[in-house]
Amino acid sequence: MPKLIKQGLTALLLAVLPVLPAHAGVCATDDTGQQVCLPAPAQRIAGLSPGASELLWSAGAGDQVVAVVAWSDYPPEAKTVASVGSHTRLDLEKLISLQPDLVIAWVTGNPQEQIQTIRNLGLPVFSIEPRDFEDVSSVIERLATLAGTEAEGWAEAERFRTGMAELAARYSDRAPVPVFYQVWDEPLMTVNNQHLIGKVIALCGGYNVFGELPRLVPRISDEAVLEANPEAILAGGMGEENRAWLDRWQNYSSLDATRVGNLFFVPPSLIQRPTPRMLQGSELFCQKLEIARGRR
Amino acid sequence: MSQLRTADLIIDVPDRADGRALSLQVEPGQIWGVLGPNGAGKTTLMHTLAGLRAPRSGAVLLDDQPLAEQKRRTIARHLGLVFQERQDGFPATVLETALIGRHPFLSSWQMESADDLKLAQQALSRLDVAHLASRLVSTLSGGERQRVAIATVLTQSPAIWLADEPTNHLDLHHQIAVMELLTEEAGHGKAVFMCLHDLNLAARWCSHVLLLYPDGEACWGPVERMLVPDALERLYGQRLATTELDGAPVFVPVR
Amino acid sequence: MGRYWLPLMLLALAALAAFLLSVTVGSASVGVADVWAVLTGEGTQLQRTLILELRVPRTLAALATGGLLAVAGALMQVLLRNPLADPYVLGLSGGAAVGALLAMLAGVGGLMVSGSAFAGAMVATLLVFGLAHGTGSWTPSRLLLTGVVVAAGWGAVITLMLAISPAERLPGMLYWLMGDLSYAGTPSLALVLLALACLLVVPLGRSLNVLARGPLQAAALGVAVRPLEWTVYVVASLLTAVAVTTAGSIGFVGLVVPHMLRLVLGNDQRLILPACALAGGILLMLADTLARTIIAPEQLPVGVITALLGVPTFLLLLYRSR
Repeated sequence: MPKLIKQGLTALLLAVLPVLPAHAGVCATDDTGQQVCLPAPAQRIAGLSPGASELLWSAGAGDQVVAVVAWSDYPPEAKTVASVGSHTRLDLEKLISLQPDLVIAWVTGNPQEQIQTIRNLGLPVFSIEPRDFEDVSSVIERLATLAGTEAEGWAEAERFRTGMAELAARYSDRAPVPVFYQVWDEPLMTVNNQHLIGKVIALCGGYNVFGELPRLVPRISDEAVLEANPEAILAGGMGEENRAWLDRWQNYSSLDATRVGNLFFVPPSLIQRPTPRMLQGSELFCQKLEIARGRR
Repeated sequence: MSQLRTADLIIDVPDRADGRALSLQVEPGQIWGVLGPNGAGKTTLMHTLAGLRAPRSGAVLLDDQPLAEQKRRTIARHLGLVFQERQDGFPATVLETALIGRHPFLSSWQMESADDLKLAQQALSRLDVAHLASRLVSTLSGGERQRVAIATVLTQSPAIWLADEPTNHLDLHHQIAVMELLTEEAGHGKAVFMCLHDLNLAARWCSHVLLLYPDGEACWGPVERMLVPDALERLYGQRLATTELDGAPVFVPVR
Repeated sequence: MGRYWLPLMLLALAALAAFLLSVTVGSASVGVADVWAVLTGEGTQLQRTLILELRVPRTLAALATGGLLAVAGALMQVLLRNPLADPYVLGLSGGAAVGALLAMLAGVGGLMVSGSAFAGAMVATLLVFGLAHGTGSWTPSRLLLTGVVVAAGWGAVITLMLAISPAERLPGMLYWLMGDLSYAGTPSLALVLLALACLLVVPLGRSLNVLARGPLQAAALGVAVRPLEWTVYVVASLLTAVAVTTAGSIGFVGLVVPHMLRLVLGNDQRLILPACALAGGILLMLADTLARTIIAPEQLPVGVITALLGVPTFLLLLYRSR
């Protein structure tokens, strides 16, 4: 009798097994706290911000990306993928016709109405908003889960995590350097301590002279910079290797940074997007501050 | 036919004493001329009589009912006003302008009928402007516009005509034609009440005259009692020579 | 009657053509046959989604918004007897923009932005009318002056809000200010209101014709001027508020469409107002079609296209009418 039951159960199991999917469903929680579940790993993914596309490639899901937006320029392969408008003004028609099975949205960058429309049309939307270094790794891991590329993605996430930790260990306790980071030229804008770049400053043992300002990207005056008198000024600029933004500070000989020559250019693409390239950007950033320390 | 009456009416000319209260009665068939120097309040009186302006005191009665208590639409079916100044709003053709005279007689949902169109065209012919029917009013000369304005009121066909200097801008021939038209209207039992600058037109065509003085004084009555040289010289502060032609007095200013 | 029906029928046909064009043309290639299949209940799931859930609502939103703005503009021009008047001249869009931007600053989206914009428009309307009324009498010039000054005030508030708002909210705000149909859902309210406005215009039309000759002349011809002016003001404000709420402030339609039609069709409001509803809709449907296809997949603000289409057309008509 027990044998019979055992045989019956086996037969039942064998009968049921083929019905179960070979690959079970995948789930991940996005940065708005919503759980997104897919019946199978996504094969056609749309990235609705340049950062989202870059993170998708980092997660090893580059081959599955079918739609990006304007300015998705990294990695270079991203430029060959169909564009669906700009992140502020999406061409929904184009997006829908590409038939994505997963849409990666940017919480504060995409128009909420359009994202809601995409949801209403039944497409799964995964919203991201990396606010610190750990978020970058975590987003990569979750994207890798949804795309079924865990091996590659998790490794990349871990590489970034340990890389940033090493930088922190090496630099964050060095003698503080008062730093002004110029994120835009006209109007003159900087970042506070909550901003990712603000966190890079802290990571490298810098002291952000405007870190306590309440707004994430404060608009400031030349006067405020002169008063704060930073020891080093770091700036992005339009395009890579363009030092034009630093020239404005050459006129102020009263600035310590100008007098000592601590006016540094950091390629904006390496530091202004919350992606693994930040590791390279942060390393560069920390090196500049080391140069500043060396000139004391 | 309708009758217009004023009861102790004092028109509201800013910064002027009340003057004499007007209590006059305009009967069907009568032609009234209002004479007075610039600033005497002729236009204000016209607008007050049409109910477009509130009097300082007293009342205007249309068929024994105060104007203030009547709907504008009801008033407009009995009383038409030729304005002195043209208010140029939006461009409109001569025919369209004449046709709005039918407005008080049509309900909200009604379009102008063929009869209304015929009335407007007849009025334009009567005023010698039918050939301008499709022109924009803004492209016409002053005299042509004046005739279109009169044609509009003729299309309205009111029992009481109020006309603020109807001969303004008109050449001699058309001045006489308009006075003839108004006389003809009076002959059909309409009442005409108009401001005039020309003493001689008043003397020839009016049955009654109202003299308005700048200080608010006023007197009124049949034309033959009113148009006496003393009163007119005082009215205009101008010496006049008087003669007679075809049984009507003629006044000429003296240097 | 033919004088009325012929132009309206032609405009209705043109509107139908513009509608079909707008539904057929897009960045995703769906052929005419496919569109026809979808409209008759066939087609693939993807085609049905593209046409019925994206293009048709957006095209209807363009039709309704354009129509509302043009009718509101025509009404404002009659009310103020000023050819330069447009739906926004009295600061209504400024109030709506302040309402919408406040909602965006507070971080709420979707319906709240629309509701806040509508509330702002109504506040602006009441403010201007209350101030212009004041203790004295109101005249069109006083109303106009009040509106222009209040609009300047709104402009300053908008600039202030843009200056102090966080960088990440700026793009959304700027796009709202430029006017954008890509957020618009199915505009049932706007369409119903447009239809109601056209119906209301029929009995009011002749009175408006008389009002256009000046308030004294209108009063002498039996128009109750003050109640009529109130009605026109309230209706025009309501139409504008709904239009602004649907698609942000889209310039130029309300100014140019009524004038184009007046140059061609004359000045009978009974014809001009329904014609405005159709022509405004046509202009915005065409403009939006261009805005979303001209450099697709990049999307342009539709307000840019209305101006680029409207200015030369208007100037040509003005030049030829001389």
